[in-house]
Amino acid sequence: MQMGFYFDQTRCTGCFTCTVACKDWHDIPPGPASWRRVQTIERDKYPTPFVAFLATSCYHCAQPACMSACPVNAISKRGQDGIVVVDRELCLGRDHCQLCSEACPYDAPQFGAEENGRMQMCNLCMERWPEGKKPVCVAGCPTRALDAGPINEIRAKYGEVQEAVGFAYGENLVLSVIFKPKLEVQPGKKKSIEGI
Amino acid sequence: MPTAKAGQSMDEVKIVPTGGCYDCGGRCLHKVHVRDGVAIRVETDDAEEPQLRSCARGRAYRQQVYSPDRLRFPLKRTGPRGSGQFERVSWEEALDTVASELLRIKETYGPKSILVVTLSGSAGSLHTGPMTVCWLLSSFGGYTPFWGDASAEGAIFAARATYGTLTNGNTRDDLVNSRLILLWGVNPATSIFSTNTRYYLLKAREAGARVVVIDPRYSDTAATFADRWIPAKPGTDTAVMAAMAYVMITENLHDQRFLDKYTLGFEKFKDYVMGIEDGVAKTPTWAEAKSGVPADTIVWLARQYATNKPAALIPGYAPGRTAYGEQYHRMAAVLASMTGNVGIHGGGAACFERPLVGPMVPPPFSKLFEGGTYEARLKQLDVPRRLRSRPHAMCLWDCILKGTVGGYPIDLKMAYIAFANPLNQFPNINKGVEALKKLEFIVVHEQFMTATARFADIVLPVTTVWERNDFSRPWTGGSYFLYMNKVIEPLLDVRSDRDICRDLASRLGIQDPFWDLPEEDAVRWVTESMEDVMPEVVDYERFKRDGVYKIKRPGPVIAFEKQIEDPDNNPFPTLSGKIEIYSQLVADLNNPEIPPIPKHLDPWEGAEDPLSQKYPLQLLTHHHKTRAHSCFDNNLLLNDLEPQSLWISTQDAQSRGIRNGDKVRVFNDRGETIIQAKVTERIIPGVVSLGEGAWYQPDKKGRDRAGSPNVLTRDHYSPAGAFPFNTSLVQVGKYVSDTSSLD
Repeated sequence: MQMGFYFDQTRCTGCFTCTVACKDWHDIPPGPASWRRVQTIERDKYPTPFVAFLATSCYHCAQPACMSACPVNAISKRGQDGIVVVDRELCLGRDHCQLCSEACPYDAPQFGAEENGRMQMCNLCMERWPEGKKPVCVAGCPTRALDAGPINEIRAKYGEVQEAVGFAYGENLVLSVIFKPKLEVQPGKKKSIEGI
Repeated sequence: MPTAKAGQSMDEVKIVPTGGCYDCGGRCLHKVHVRDGVAIRVETDDAEEPQLRSCARGRAYRQQVYSPDRLRFPLKRTGPRGSGQFERVSWEEALDTVASELLRIKETYGPKSILVVTLSGSAGSLHTGPMTVCWLLSSFGGYTPFWGDASAEGAIFAARATYGTLTNGNTRDDLVNSRLILLWGVNPATSIFSTNTRYYLLKAREAGARVVVIDPRYSDTAATFADRWIPAKPGTDTAVMAAMAYVMITENLHDQRFLDKYTLGFEKFKDYVMGIEDGVAKTPTWAEAKSGVPADTIVWLARQYATNKPAALIPGYAPGRTAYGEQYHRMAAVLASMTGNVGIHGGGAACFERPLVGPMVPPPFSKLFEGGTYEARLKQLDVPRRLRSRPHAMCLWDCILKGTVGGYPIDLKMAYIAFANPLNQFPNINKGVEALKKLEFIVVHEQFMTATARFADIVLPVTTVWERNDFSRPWTGGSYFLYMNKVIEPLLDVRSDRDICRDLASRLGIQDPFWDLPEEDAVRWVTESMEDVMPEVVDYERFKRDGVYKIKRPGPVIAFEKQIEDPDNNPFPTLSGKIEIYSQLVADLNNPEIPPIPKHLDPWEGAEDPLSQKYPLQLLTHHHKTRAHSCFDNNLLLNDLEPQSLWISTQDAQSRGIRNGDKVRVFNDRGETIIQAKVTERIIPGVVSLGEGAWYQPDKKGRDRAGSPNVLTRDHYSPAGAFPFNTSLVQVGKYVSDTSSLD
């Protein structure tokens, strides 16, 4: 069984609640490591700008690029749920290696500011599922833009779209994520709500 | 910061429900995990929907509580005032000093020379200005407060004049009933005003509602929820609305039946709009010249609001925080009547927005804000009369500096400040610095070394909401109560605001059984004094255990539903019993700057002010997404997510040679700030914006380096009391660093 995320980009207001809720829950100190991150994408021109937000964490790929890249096999995929996890004891540390980070197109591998910080990343809040709880980002999002669960259930509920503004699909990785993308208006074309 | 251990079983952990943070229109639930007396992590509401989910600021509250720069012990000033040089002193010495200064100043100058500044810095009903410092100093013999509600004085004036009550809002779950929602100068994605406004907006859109956002900026709300964004210059919303009225009248789209049945004074308003009164027809072309909104857009907006029923015009308070901002709030209410949207599901009375359920001000006090005789109502609207005994908050610094010689009611000698950061948050910081230097004594309750605390003679470190018990009710749109359970013991050597006042009371010779009540009993006493709470909650012990009580309602609560359904038996609480488009009370104020019908008045420091030759850009002070006013600016989990910047249009940046990320100077005659520029398509040209609440950081040349907008704002109030934070003119230039070490 493979777990994954759902992200409804049309609901995301770029508020960073997910970023902060995650750091608080997992006790990540203030600093450069964020297991969940929010990008702001701003396009087009005044008076019809286009803005979208993209919240990403780790897509727990079926074929993770980070796992292949790691020279010491510190990264593995759990058999029972496909969650990609890192063993920080085995990790060589930021000062010696960053191959996972270079391999991942989505910035999932993160490093803290401490000396030779060991790699850390989203673990789909694996310790919460046995308590009947979803990840803190999902449970915390004020616009309920996130969901998580077995990816086949996510697909059944939300569809099959794997596109979003600011996101590029990585062919070989087989990502465990479904999106509801924000539709982009063609540049120069005014949005109109005449004749409601 | 205290840590949670990975793999630690949840069994040894106690979960304490509490809620609320700082100065915020949300009141969210926090379930704090505590192990060995230490808060280790937070969850939010996970009961049935609608859940009271906390935002990024609330999720960073643990970082606030355990922040390395939390003030840990009382401080006494050693260097010049404002230098930030302090030494640690004992609580005994600190409190003895405060008490002896209170006594000395009262003895020498009288108690009115003591200024009290308390605002809404902390969530709660017991740990508030009125129940702590104000209560204490009332027993002491009195003090001078300031006058005015910074958030919404214009809306308060408009609500009283138009409806005779502040209870004009529908609960936010009513939005799902709207066909059209106009979010006018309101940004629920960022500024939480009712925890679930965003959620109900989403539900409304799913149900087919269309949303229009009117705002000088393409806010995150516009980006997420709007089908159309209409940029308008600050201080011109009233003109746009007047022109909308013109369109409705000329195209006969207004609801004359509604106006005849429920309102008073529409004919006089019509004469104004059509140009019969003053010879100037308030056409869309007229409004375009003032606002920057194209005439055909105004026509479109008027038709949309008039013909899509029901429609909710939600007027944010920001456009009312301008010169003559009270007129905007009056005008919005008139449009709601012209379109027949008052008192119906999916509509809205478009004024102060407080619904009947869960109002911030509990029933015993609400009665003070409603009804009454002609004289009583007139007194409430009469700003000069209100200012006979205390200064308007916008002019606090001027009052300190000029005193009775300058026409103010009092010569202030001392300031007692709690739950507030006035140096940072009131206008004209440079004048504030001079004023604070002039006072003989300043005491500040604080958690952190804010700009205001830096000017204190004594700083008293206080608890956060996790370190004490309290009760809270949300400001608007919420139908629940929170029991803010104490989560941990007070850290280090901090005390609660209440305990400080209790300890001062004994030093001041005040015997008051209120101070003897243990904290939890005092919370219960406050809760029981609100006559609507206990009949609803019933089981107080269960309420404490749960931390929240949600009122079950069959559906949305609609303001003025009865007044519309059965007007004969349910008049509006005005003197006439009608919605007063024309207000005789306002006419009797006899002030041409406060006309009895809503009107557009050209603002000072607006685009048409001759000062714009020198300072051509209007300054907006939007709410920043990782702060709640000045709270959280020092929070390390938050403050790098969206760094402070000056929002400036591509057009205005290019003509100044400014690129995105460049450091710029923003300045006028009142001060200067240096900050990085965000060159963006998301703001109307001619307007720049600085997120308010950034902590003022003067350099050695007296220039602010934090992008704190109040070095630029004008200390002046609108005639009916509104706080014009969004009415200032500035210039912006590229910052060229001189190579001296002062930079």
